[in-house]
Amino acid sequence: MPGPAQFWLESLPALLRGALLTLQVSGLSIVLASLLGVAVAACRTAPVPLLRWAGAAYVEVFRNTPLLVQIFFVFFGLPRLGLRLSPFQSGLAALSLYTAAYNAEVFRAGLEAVPRGLREAAAALGLSPWQRFRHVILPLAVRISLPALGNNFVALVKNSSLVSTIGMVELTFVARDLEAWTFRSFEVYGAATLLYLGLVLALAWGLRGVEARTLAYLRPRAR
Amino acid sequence: MRWDVVAANATYLLEGLRGTVALGLLVMALGTVLGFGVGLARLGRGVLYACATGFVELFRDTPLIMQIFFIFFGLPALGIRLNPFVAAAAAMTFFAAANTAEIVRGAIQSIPRGQWEAARSLGLSPAQSLRWVILPQALRRMLPPMMGLFTTLLKDTSLAAIVNVFELTTAGRRVVERTLASFEIWLVVAALYFLVCYPLSVATQRLERRLVAETA
Repeated sequence: MPGPAQFWLESLPALLRGALLTLQVSGLSIVLASLLGVAVAACRTAPVPLLRWAGAAYVEVFRNTPLLVQIFFVFFGLPRLGLRLSPFQSGLAALSLYTAAYNAEVFRAGLEAVPRGLREAAAALGLSPWQRFRHVILPLAVRISLPALGNNFVALVKNSSLVSTIGMVELTFVARDLEAWTFRSFEVYGAATLLYLGLVLALAWGLRGVEARTLAYLRPRAR
Repeated sequence: MRWDVVAANATYLLEGLRGTVALGLLVMALGTVLGFGVGLARLGRGVLYACATGFVELFRDTPLIMQIFFIFFGLPALGIRLNPFVAAAAAMTFFAAANTAEIVRGAIQSIPRGQWEAARSLGLSPAQSLRWVILPQALRRMLPPMMGLFTTLLKDTSLAAIVNVFELTTAGRRVVERTLASFEIWLVVAALYFLVCYPLSVATQRLERRLVAETA
């Protein structure tokens, strides 16, 4: 039986391939969940009661049910309605829908934090409602939302591990597979845990960099 | 659609829901107690601080599912063999404690320094200052995020299904395996979780608003 170091070296390529898929599904979900989150937040702050209600219902439903059950619902439940998605598509859909609900709340707080005067100023300049939203309100709201949004993205990377339960071959799945073949559970899960820790810390570090850049204008400037 | 399957298995699913709530309450109680200790340790320095920080980072920055696997499949390699329920409950307790610790630390650090200084200058020992001056104020600030954490924990108990602990998600999966009514059962399971989690969320939001109104 090879020692732990050699075993780790041998299983590292497989684990890294899994980590790559974890990154892929997380990255795509970050984009989709952000776009959908903005849309839901826009609904929640819209002047139309029906839109506001629909936005609130979306957020409450997806935030108050477990992600695992949502994944099972999409992967096992929807085929009975004729909608058959692959594990990757199901995982991507469930992760995006779930995270979008959390992102929507963050964006909503950001939208509400934009001072009224700015909206009025934009209107006074003759911008259309869409132009006001796109060029004045949204850029500010996104900057205000960035720190909380980063937390959601970190949670998303961790949550992507749940997709292993429907057979997507990402990091957690690879770890389970390796463990089943080698029975070296301690080494395998230890290595996978460290890889997740690395992914999460790298993402957190990157997000801090983005925050520092986009929020630089808020810091007092040296003359 | 076969809604009769739902009716026929309603008692079984409700039993699962009872398991979910029981596991949730257990994890909340143990996690809160352990989390308070870890959170207070994070306020000190030295070895205790380093250990507490390591604990918090490890359990907050890795997926809960990995922690469950590690404890259930990994620890037997070290001679520690736990049954699925204990393993899942232990992993979730550590996860809850790590998050509680950050809430406790954040709330205590948010109390203005002057409160400490005033308490100390009145002749209270550090422990007395914490107990009689700081904690009563910090506890109010902890309450909304703690309730938010409880909702998260209640949802996360579904991960116990992965090691086959009997709770709502496991109950749902077993019914689906038997009846193939996947759409109906998963929808009802989701609805049952919603029924428990939504009131908790609403209560959290109300409390948050009240506390904000009081301090404003």
